[in-house]
Amino acid sequence: MRLKTSLLQEPKHKELVSCVGWTSADELYSCSEDHQILKWNLLTSETNLVVKLPDDIYPIDLHWFPKTVGGKKQNQSEIFVLTSTDGKFHLTSKIGRVEKSVEAHKGAVLAGRWNYDGTALITAGEDGQIKIWSKSGMLRSTLASQGSPVYSVAWGPDSDRILYTSGRQLVIKPLQPSAKVIQWKAHDGVVLKVDWNSVNDLILSGGEDCKYKVWDSFGRVLYSSSSHDYPVTSLSWAPDGELFAVGSFNTLRLCDKTGWSYALEKPNTGSVFSLAWSADGTQLAGACGNGHVIFAHVVEQHWEWKNFVITLTKRRTMQVRNVMNDAVDVLEFRDRVIKTSLAYGHLVVATSLQCYVYNSRNWNTPLIFDLKEGTVSLILQAEKSPTPRHLLLVDGAGLYVFSYEGRLISSPKFPGMRADILNAQGVSLSHDTIGIRDKSDEKVILLFDALSGKALGDGKPLTHKLEVVEIALDQSGPSNERKIALIDKNRDLYVTSVRHLGRETKICKLGSMVHSMAWNDAANILCGIQDNQLTVWYYPSVVFTDKELLPTTLLIKDGSEFSRAPHILSYVGTKVTLRQGDGSLVYSNIPPYPALLHEYSASARWEDALRLCRFAKDQSLWACLAGMAMAHRELTTAEMAYAAIGELPRVQYINFIKEQPSKESSLAHMLMFSGQVQEAEATLLQAGLIYQAIRVNIDLFNWERALELAVKHKTHVDTVLAYRGKFLQKFGREETNKRFLQYSEGVEVDWEKVQAKIEMELSNEREKAANSSVRSSVASRR
Amino acid sequence: MAKDPLAEAGFYFDELNKLRVLEPDVSQKTSELKEECKEFVDKIGQFQKIVGGLIELVDELAKEAETEKMKAIGARNLLKSVAKQREAQQQQLQALIAEKKMQLERYRIEYEALSKVESEQNEFIDQFILQK
Repeated sequence: MRLKTSLLQEPKHKELVSCVGWTSADELYSCSEDHQILKWNLLTSETNLVVKLPDDIYPIDLHWFPKTVGGKKQNQSEIFVLTSTDGKFHLTSKIGRVEKSVEAHKGAVLAGRWNYDGTALITAGEDGQIKIWSKSGMLRSTLASQGSPVYSVAWGPDSDRILYTSGRQLVIKPLQPSAKVIQWKAHDGVVLKVDWNSVNDLILSGGEDCKYKVWDSFGRVLYSSSSHDYPVTSLSWAPDGELFAVGSFNTLRLCDKTGWSYALEKPNTGSVFSLAWSADGTQLAGACGNGHVIFAHVVEQHWEWKNFVITLTKRRTMQVRNVMNDAVDVLEFRDRVIKTSLAYGHLVVATSLQCYVYNSRNWNTPLIFDLKEGTVSLILQAEKSPTPRHLLLVDGAGLYVFSYEGRLISSPKFPGMRADILNAQGVSLSHDTIGIRDKSDEKVILLFDALSGKALGDGKPLTHKLEVVEIALDQSGPSNERKIALIDKNRDLYVTSVRHLGRETKICKLGSMVHSMAWNDAANILCGIQDNQLTVWYYPSVVFTDKELLPTTLLIKDGSEFSRAPHILSYVGTKVTLRQGDGSLVYSNIPPYPALLHEYSASARWEDALRLCRFAKDQSLWACLAGMAMAHRELTTAEMAYAAIGELPRVQYINFIKEQPSKESSLAHMLMFSGQVQEAEATLLQAGLIYQAIRVNIDLFNWERALELAVKHKTHVDTVLAYRGKFLQKFGREETNKRFLQYSEGVEVDWEKVQAKIEMELSNEREKAANSSVRSSVASRR
Repeated sequence: MAKDPLAEAGFYFDELNKLRVLEPDVSQKTSELKEECKEFVDKIGQFQKIVGGLIELVDELAKEAETEKMKAIGARNLLKSVAKQREAQQQQLQALIAEKKMQLERYRIEYEALSKVESEQNEFIDQFILQK
């Protein structure tokens, strides 16, 4: 990936250009110290003078009023704020008329920024004050004042906090007066510029120590660049938060959000005083010290999927290369490419007006459909082979699920939706479900049916006990077994089922210190970076059936092959693609057996599954098979698998389940097997097997409950008492429980009688089961 | 010789026997002087002309020398600035090289990872074939 820059032969401005701002994807305004405001049209490559400002106005900063607010278009005529050296800011219309000039600071006004919904304006001045103004330019409050000039200021993602510079320090100040202020030393020189992205919540800063740094919103440093030759004079996040640009003397740099640099350009610009991305994130403009305005766009982006490599060669051209036979196809588009996604054999390209869907088998005839809003910020794809397939498009206005044929399937909505700040970590799509992390309460995950766009189940969202950082839905398997993996603020990885019937969802923990994760595209295998090691959960659902098997079903790859902070990009087939902290791509190979095993278990081919495990001779595979077989209540297979990994107690228990007199009791014991005691008891009581229910409780030493059941159903009180007596005797203790004392007075305990009663119960149950099975077989024959 | 009475009166005859008040010698001398004076004036004029030419020439030379000097200074400054420019260019190129080196390092790591995957896959295939 690199920047392609263009610079005119002769500068249009006579003096240094101080600020630039985009109105649309193709129109830019630039202000210069020669008092001119110029309008640059990129489609016609024309440059027009908008207005010549009075000679005493030297512009410093420019910011356009935000265009869209929470998906709604602003009706207000387009205006921008222009700050100047004389201590005023000017609300200026698109035609260049100064609507209002407001005396704001002593000395120059160094920065002026609208918040995201356009309800407030913040200005920072040379006098060290930061002031908040209403939309019409009325002073609301002075938020801060300090002894040194404030060079740059930025709004937080929810417009409830601001970030500003204070000498070498950075300060995050919430608008609420009582909230805590975060302040930290950021650079060894004066900090000149800051920016805060609303999508990824990361902060950028650059200063006179010639470095740029990336911070999280708690002020922890994520990346610190090496020292440049000149101070960093400008920086700017791309709107989607994936990239940022850094400007310095004769320097323009394009960087990944993790800080490493994609490309460096050395254009003849002088110092770049201001950088601005267009709203769709495709164009970059810079205000140059020598009177130029530099334009740049990102080219040579790569996408890889299996044997295809796709490169964006020009703004409207892509090259598809099939590495199997070196065949090259060139794709041309009518408009600029804004977003691209390549997965499941399909390439989806969103341009400013249309969406193109290519099938990897045929690059000649794409399916084209029109887009309502221009700026697609995220594309997700899902597939269940062979159909239905669909894709999720996110733009500033909302979320849309389209079929690959271009039909709008659904458009999930929820109150307080801010589609413009959704990112890939906060949204997940599988072929039947959409998961979205709620931005207003980050503990909540909203789940939608992908086909209807309605909330899943009873409409209650999934709530975790901590703030969720990343979510991912598994991609295969039946809809009612859809699972979601989530990473919370403590970096613990959990998995839970999405569609649950009535019962409270169980959120099971898979691991801790997990920094990044991805589901396999074809099987429900999860991989994650756990403490710098690549960990693969071959069968995450095992936590629902047999939690203790989980450590045996893991594949842990030695972390020494990865350097600092790897991040998982994709997990396709048997290949995990990771991006290291320094930007290099590394790959890791996962054995193909678990995926095969998943396939066998999904199609209930247990014989094949056993043969595969015998062939591979892998403990983790046997453990997976044990878990899968138990989940599908395939006892014979489970018994063999448990035997293979030496889990003898479990083998014994399975045998015990097999010996159960009726279906209901074996079902109940299978539930017991996966630790669902209450469900097991409920099943037994529902089937009228009171003795079994009591017995279950006796086996768990749950005496009180056993007695309660016995008393309630007026049966087997003596059995409970007999077993209790035996238990106490064994441990050499006296009865202290009042209820037991009370009942033991009235009931005679006779072991022989008890045994006989139990025998009778069991034979009754057997008889009943036999009868019902005969009845059902007769019924089925009919 | 007897004194000419005319001469005593101050009258003389010249060769053409014209009566003269001036002595013929003096008159001759006078005319000679006049001749010489004329000659002198001519010579002076000539001299002035020559000197004027010379001055012009020197002036021109001076001018030329001045421009040459300016040129030399300019060239010298240019040379100095070229050195600086080269330095800047070098710096720029160094930065670009560093960037490319970083990219190369990334590619090297990627290549290594891919080689490892390849060897793992080969190993897997071998194992697979052997076991069958």
